[in-house]
Amino acid sequence: MLRRYKTVPDLKAHESAAAISFVDPALACKLTAMGVRPGAVIEMIRKAPFGKAYYIKVDGIRLALREEEAFSILLEI
Amino acid sequence: MTRGDAQTYKIALVGNPNSGKSTIFNQLTGLRQKTGNFPGVTVDIKSGKIRFAGGIEAILTDLPGTYSLYPTSSDEKIVAALLTHPAHANFPDGIVYIADTNHLEKHLLLLTQIMDLGIPILLALNMSDTAAELGIKVNIIRLSERLGVPVVFVSGRTGENIDRLQAELEKMMLGTQAIHKTAAFYTPTEAEKQLVEAVQLNLGTENPYRALLIAHHYQWLPFLQHSERETLAAIVETKHFQSLRAQVDETLDRFDRFTPFVQESVQEAPTFPNTTTDRLDALLTHRIGGPLIFFAVMLLMFQAIFDWSVYPMDWIETGFSWLNDGLKAALPAGWFSDLLTDGILAGLSGILIFIPQIAILFLLITILEEVGYMSRVVFMFDKTMRRAGMNGRSVISLIGGGACAVPAIMSSRTIGNWQERLITIMVTPFISCSARIPVYLVLIGLAVPAVKIGGLINAQTLVFASMYALGVIAAFASGWAMKKWLRTREPSFLAIELPEYRMPDWKNVALTVWEKVAAFVWGAGKIILFVSIALWGLSRFGPGNAVETAENTAREKAQTTQLSTSETEDLIAHHRLEASYAGQMGKFIEPAIRPLGYDWKIGIALLTSFAAREVFTGTLAVLYNMGSAEPDISSRTDNQAKVTMRAKMREETFSDNGKPVYTLATALSLLVFYALALQCMSTIAVVKRETGSWKWALFQFTFMSALAYVVAWLVYLLFS
Repeated sequence: MLRRYKTVPDLKAHESAAAISFVDPALACKLTAMGVRPGAVIEMIRKAPFGKAYYIKVDGIRLALREEEAFSILLEI
Repeated sequence: MTRGDAQTYKIALVGNPNSGKSTIFNQLTGLRQKTGNFPGVTVDIKSGKIRFAGGIEAILTDLPGTYSLYPTSSDEKIVAALLTHPAHANFPDGIVYIADTNHLEKHLLLLTQIMDLGIPILLALNMSDTAAELGIKVNIIRLSERLGVPVVFVSGRTGENIDRLQAELEKMMLGTQAIHKTAAFYTPTEAEKQLVEAVQLNLGTENPYRALLIAHHYQWLPFLQHSERETLAAIVETKHFQSLRAQVDETLDRFDRFTPFVQESVQEAPTFPNTTTDRLDALLTHRIGGPLIFFAVMLLMFQAIFDWSVYPMDWIETGFSWLNDGLKAALPAGWFSDLLTDGILAGLSGILIFIPQIAILFLLITILEEVGYMSRVVFMFDKTMRRAGMNGRSVISLIGGGACAVPAIMSSRTIGNWQERLITIMVTPFISCSARIPVYLVLIGLAVPAVKIGGLINAQTLVFASMYALGVIAAFASGWAMKKWLRTREPSFLAIELPEYRMPDWKNVALTVWEKVAAFVWGAGKIILFVSIALWGLSRFGPGNAVETAENTAREKAQTTQLSTSETEDLIAHHRLEASYAGQMGKFIEPAIRPLGYDWKIGIALLTSFAAREVFTGTLAVLYNMGSAEPDISSRTDNQAKVTMRAKMREETFSDNGKPVYTLATALSLLVFYALALQCMSTIAVVKRETGSWKWALFQFTFMSALAYVVAWLVYLLFS
């Protein structure tokens, strides 16, 4: 089955995609307040040295997200 | 002033984390600031006075940085709790809102939330160093018109336009603000309107947005009474109010509303080219380079603490021994002279001797935080910390624990998840703090030979480093164990901003270091001073005339065995101490600590160290030097003093079997005990304050003491 979306961990380094929506309301609440909103373009910078976290850029803001947080953002394909 | 002179106008400084709030706070208040305990919240909040031209004053309070009034950590909850509680003693009459010009959109969310609370507000656009570089241009007149609040440009860094900000503040205080917006920014949904009406009706809350926030946060808002909480729970239940969903919808609605304003006002949008920060991060957060650089930084940091602190510590020691000798020579011999020198001065030097190391460690940690490196460490080690039941943010507490556990425990407030925060608080005191350093130095110098192992590493250095490693291992192992034992379903977040790297704001660094050192000196200092005076009394006096009897016995013994004058003095001192209250206490606990290889004198040191471990060396100095004043004491350098103390400790034997006390096994066992035990009243007090109950403070104390005892016992068995 073809997926209609992907999530942040699917992005390769320096690949970007626009956010569509969130999976988890608690995380959505936190992330929207930090500037990650539907429509915002998310750029993957790199994975954490020991994994399980991602360094991303959203509108010039640099953020570190945990794997669960990164998975909760749905992106356009 | 609108509220008359009797009541000083209260201004709160609000903004997102990394908006440059603290620099502007420093610009506005100068050095007229203090950190105080805020009523109702267990948190230290900075406040300061602003003086205006006409001699009018206002109180400015720096609230913790937060992204919205829907908080996820206890730091952020303070802001929401204060702004929804107009009856609070510190409720602001007006707010200065600081926003980062480069990320205007993200920073306006909280502004519009506060606007809806009806508190007079003023928007200060902070131009960071890089704002000009990024080429952003904002039409503040347009922005001000569209938002309905006064807007000023300021630079926290250079102090540019601070006078303009002050002028706007004065207008806000006098109620002569040019613009006053009354209509709410956010239009609630039908469901929210009904909810708000019900809350207003039942609680008498006037402001609709405040009523809405109370409905969202009724479970934890501290000012609500039990009956109000029940009423609110019923309202939320009957209206089928979905708090989280509503929060997200409201946030997005606000963004939709002000994004056009930003687009209209920003004449030239900032470009975000590949900056220095990106180049630095490619290295500093690199999958191999990042952790390696972190460990190198830590190593250099602790190296610097020892290297740089040698000289100031020497000066303090020399100064005190000079003062001590001077007083002893000037005052007539007797209990008063003894109290002043062996009690008070000894205690004071025990406090002041730590200042260089604590100051240097705080300086370096503050710099790392100011430049923005700490959040990278949080990012890199989140996974590692989670294995031990903590959060990436716990790294900051653990590193800070290397200086002093008290501020380190307080810095755990940024951790939202209660379990992660609790574990951080519980394990931070395992990290060897600067108070343990002198204990380590004395014991290692005493029992570990300065030989090179395999011609490479000095055995003393190795043992010293092992003590630090032991603390780290104990912290991670107990964190891991606690994680298995505690289980919460509360959400846990990493989501942290990695700010642009920047030069530290030196004034802020200096102020922070000053505050932390001062807090240490007054907080821990009082205890150390008290303990050393009490110890002096306990070791000088005994029950009835026991001390005098002991002295006479010693004198007779000395005469029959024909001892020299100084040997007689030592014998008398020893007998007097044994007969004193302190000696009795030591003897009383000796059976309990004998399995670890300790005698009653170490017992006294252990007992007194339970208030503050830095008392240990002072106690030993009192115990081993007392009475035996040497004739050339004034010419003796401090190194010789230490050597004399060590020499005396080496000669010490157990009274029952005559075997030496300070063998390698005893020294190692003591080292391990001091590395693991929680011997610090200030830490216990701060844990009680931060966790809100004695339960966790006592649990931590018991757990750490038991662990220290068992491990010290094993070490003694292994080496003896």
